[in-house]
Amino acid sequence: MASQSSLSTSQNRSLSKKKLTPYYYIFPATLFLTAIMGYPIVYSIFMSFQKYTLTELVSKHPVFNGLQNYQAVLNNPQFLIALKHSLIFTFVSIFFQFLIGLGLAILFSKSFPMSNIMRGFLLSGWQIPSVVTGTIFVWMFNGDYGLVNFLLTSLNIVKEPIGWLTTGNFALTSVILVNIWLGIPFNTILLTAGITGLPEDVFEAATVDGANAWQKLTYMTIPLLKSTIFAVLMLGFIYTLRVFDVIWIMTKGGPGSATEVLPTFAYRLSFISFNFGQSAAVSVIILFILLIAAAFYLKFAILEEN
Amino acid sequence: MNRNKRETLFRFTLGLIITLIYLIPLYWMVTTSVKPVSEIFHKPPVLFPSSFQIDSYKQIFGLPSSRAEIYINALSYLKNSLIIASITMLLTMIMAVPAAYALSRFRFSGRTPFVLFLLVAQMLPSVLMVIPLFVLFRQWGIINLGFTSVILADTALALPFAIIVLRTSFLQIPVEIEEAAWIDGGSRLQVLTSIILPLVRSGIVAVGVFSFLIAWGEFVFALSFLQNVAMQPVSIGVFQFVGMYKSNFDSMMAFSTIVAIPAVVAFLFLQRQFISGMTAGSVKQ
Repeated sequence: MASQSSLSTSQNRSLSKKKLTPYYYIFPATLFLTAIMGYPIVYSIFMSFQKYTLTELVSKHPVFNGLQNYQAVLNNPQFLIALKHSLIFTFVSIFFQFLIGLGLAILFSKSFPMSNIMRGFLLSGWQIPSVVTGTIFVWMFNGDYGLVNFLLTSLNIVKEPIGWLTTGNFALTSVILVNIWLGIPFNTILLTAGITGLPEDVFEAATVDGANAWQKLTYMTIPLLKSTIFAVLMLGFIYTLRVFDVIWIMTKGGPGSATEVLPTFAYRLSFISFNFGQSAAVSVIILFILLIAAAFYLKFAILEEN
Repeated sequence: MNRNKRETLFRFTLGLIITLIYLIPLYWMVTTSVKPVSEIFHKPPVLFPSSFQIDSYKQIFGLPSSRAEIYINALSYLKNSLIIASITMLLTMIMAVPAAYALSRFRFSGRTPFVLFLLVAQMLPSVLMVIPLFVLFRQWGIINLGFTSVILADTALALPFAIIVLRTSFLQIPVEIEEAAWIDGGSRLQVLTSIILPLVRSGIVAVGVFSFLIAWGEFVFALSFLQNVAMQPVSIGVFQFVGMYKSNFDSMMAFSTIVAIPAVVAFLFLQRQFISGMTAGSVKQ
């Protein structure tokens, strides 16, 4: 009896030790991400309810000020401008990225000579550091010597060279164009993965039945790809709404506030106006929008499938 | 058969045209960096340089050339980026390997919340992290402590994605291989390091390079945390260059080319791994 019970405790001990093993393995990553990512995000929610300016940054004693940061931000005309630009920037970018990405995914869904090499080159925009992309386009959009103006004037699309980065509406168009260039790889990769996963025999049957390419696209490819398309659009929304680098590098949100979007507005409040509290309030608003989109994405694109 | 050939030709031609158009910015970057100055400020622009110069490269590295000396030396920025990116890569891998292994081999409670946490973490924009991190790093006294602030923040950016992608690499290794090794008397950790890691090395290389590139090109954290010029990485170097030498286009593009090279080279070699990695965290498997 006694020996049996001691056996079972040692078994228990080794079982509970086994149960703990996965937690040892994920502990470093969890601790790190909680400290450097989770905690700061929670901290910024606290900051959004505090008076937190340069004074408090030095004294390290911020004061609770209720909803004053949010009131100040929402009454700031710059906020509405940034919100409007963010929406235009995001939806126009996604619309074109997605259409071009879908077209390319369909084009590359059947292999042809050099198709892998071409696809590789088409994805290059994704890996290049954003500061490099921004700088290249600053040069290409240069009003006097830029390539873009040359191509447009020599093709007679415009008569006079355009001051792309120096005039209001054109500046917003420029950063959207750059962002489309940046987003094409992402859309192409995910949509290609979706298309190559589709059952081929259904398409062959449709061909035998006399369906043309357009019919196959609208009645078969797109409906069958529904969940991939949803995932691509939601991720596209999340990744585009947060774009900061290329805009800051190309225009710093200017000229005036022509290219100010929510992320550049939040950054400006912190690192140029040193109003960290209001900046945190804008961050929380961005975070809120992103988390709603993320929840939809996770629920319908990731969890539903399992 | 004939119809198929026509279709292939059509796809090839269209693919070629689109690829060439897409590559115009990169072509323009490289050719601008080696064009004679007279052709840079030429109207209309010179699409194919008539001759080559490398004074632009000499200028950004502070080597004797026909150009005026400038206040920016690419070498210092490159060295800083190399240090930041290498340490970020090491730190990321040290934490990502065990976490990804646990996700691929154990069923434990808290597993799904952990994966969801990673997926959300991967979506968090650095511009939202930089504001509280700046305040917190100041409080913790590490804002001016060498590269610490930037390395920690960069690692947080790379880690979630690294774990998600590495997990799929581990999943491809049959559990039976491990079980055989345990029976032969190896501990779990020994088996992981001596048998499993060599088997997933292509995944490890790809994720390592990916983490390196994240830190190599990272902009917001470096812009906000590193005020000392001697500590700044290449992303800030290029940014400063654009601000200080607005019309020095050939050297600007030479600097950009140098910064882009590691990314382009890595991508050419690891294209397949990058693509499957990108798909891994985004759509259902």
